[in-house]
Amino acid sequence: MAQVRVEFHEQLRELEDEVISTADLTTTMLDQAIEAVTTNDAELARIVIDGDDRVDGRYLDSHQGILGLLARQAPVASDLRLVAALLHTIVHIERIGDLCVNIAKLVYFIPESPPGSEEIFTRVDKAAQQARDQISQAQIAFRDRNLELAEDLVKQDDIIDRLNREVFNAAIDIGGSIPETREWAAHMMLIARYIERIGDHTVDIGEQIAFVISGQFREFTDASAPDNLPGPAR
Amino acid sequence: MPETREQTTEQEQLDPSLESQPRKRITSHGALALPRVLAERRSNEKPMSSEPIFEVKDLTVAYGGKPAIEDISFDIGRKRITSLIGPSGCGKSTMIRCFNRMNDLIPAASVSGAIVYHGQDLYGPGVDPVEVRKLIGMVFQKPNPFPKSIYDNIAFGPRVIGMKGSMDGIVERALRRAALWDEVKDRLKENAYSLSGGQQQRLCIARCLAVEPDVILMDEPCSALDPIATARIEDLMLELKDQYSIVIVTHNMQQAARVSDMTAVLMPDVRDGDRAVGRIVEYADTGSIFTNPESKRTEDYVTGRVG
Repeated sequence: MAQVRVEFHEQLRELEDEVISTADLTTTMLDQAIEAVTTNDAELARIVIDGDDRVDGRYLDSHQGILGLLARQAPVASDLRLVAALLHTIVHIERIGDLCVNIAKLVYFIPESPPGSEEIFTRVDKAAQQARDQISQAQIAFRDRNLELAEDLVKQDDIIDRLNREVFNAAIDIGGSIPETREWAAHMMLIARYIERIGDHTVDIGEQIAFVISGQFREFTDASAPDNLPGPAR
Repeated sequence: MPETREQTTEQEQLDPSLESQPRKRITSHGALALPRVLAERRSNEKPMSSEPIFEVKDLTVAYGGKPAIEDISFDIGRKRITSLIGPSGCGKSTMIRCFNRMNDLIPAASVSGAIVYHGQDLYGPGVDPVEVRKLIGMVFQKPNPFPKSIYDNIAFGPRVIGMKGSMDGIVERALRRAALWDEVKDRLKENAYSLSGGQQQRLCIARCLAVEPDVILMDEPCSALDPIATARIEDLMLELKDQYSIVIVTHNMQQAARVSDMTAVLMPDVRDGDRAVGRIVEYADTGSIFTNPESKRTEDYVTGRVG
């Protein structure tokens, strides 16, 4: 039987492209934000902050497009799952953009790097690279409807989580008695935390991809009841 | 609602030559000059979004002196799909029948106001309704092929108006344009009634296209069809709007939402007890109508709270 509703399916494809390609903007923002932090480049930080308007614009366009499609085309079955997943995904991408802005804004407040900062910078950079790779992996998994690749995002995210903990511990170690150094270290903790949140968003996008493919929604990890909590601190 | 509104016979609807009113001749100063209209259409300019094909001005249609629609003013975009929606009795069928003067066939009907089409008032002096119906074709609720072969259904109109060129070519072009050619090319001599309902409706669209109209009016074209046949007609409409302006009346709000660029919402205002007079309560791009309508009455209608 010949395919029908050709224009609707074309609109849906365009909407998917718009949402997934918006993530390209955030990978650029992440690269620039980390470079701005490591080189203390306020101008580059400003580019990241201003660049978020483009992500927000794409978010608004996609949101409007999704609402229009729901109202006008009454999608069902796999089309409905895709529309619902796109609505979630564009929110996650918009949040990734905001987190890049959070990182870039810190450039204006971070004191001069103390001796021994390279080791922390290296870990932050690694975590950012990992987050960038995860964004790309989520894009590929979405476009190819690749469940394995989507589920693999959880494993990948463990790398960022580990680096986040390492930055946290190293920051405590480097803190010492100099207020500026402590402040610098606290900012590094924040940046590592923001990157860790970006990683979490990619995992959430992976869950949406799995929902599109399988029709079953399930969280890849249960963040509210993790099984690796240590005992009480005191 | 007066019964006379729906009383046109199928044969009258099908054949512009069966005009029941005395014909007026086209005047030499060119009211609705066919060649000029066709030349404009074929110039293939990309229309501006705001360019109207129809300008409806203060239109009132009355049956036996009692208005059915009143003071309707709006523009219909060229090479756009425009939907007329609204509850039963709101006058949307009356409205669409004004665009090719089908209401002329109802003796008790009277029309005031104007519908300007290519600079001419369709209701102006000297305008021949038969000429109007050549340029502004119509497809009806129930597929209504002639009891003839598939080929003869398409060839009928071109023969009546004496179109030049190869009849085989005309038939093939119309069937291709209506996305029916591949399904019927090997059975053109078979009776049109051998086709499925959806195919019959596409045949009626092909028959309408065969006389090279400028506008296609569709009055509930899918109400007798299953969802797949409906989807094929809708796909066809979206293809045809590259070349034609389309106005559709539909009870199926989702259909209006799916296919149309602009949507007019008509609502009946009850007067003198139980007499309903239709008016446009909102006319906007279809996305706005179905996501964020301005009128409370539109909101209530599209969400199913009234109507």
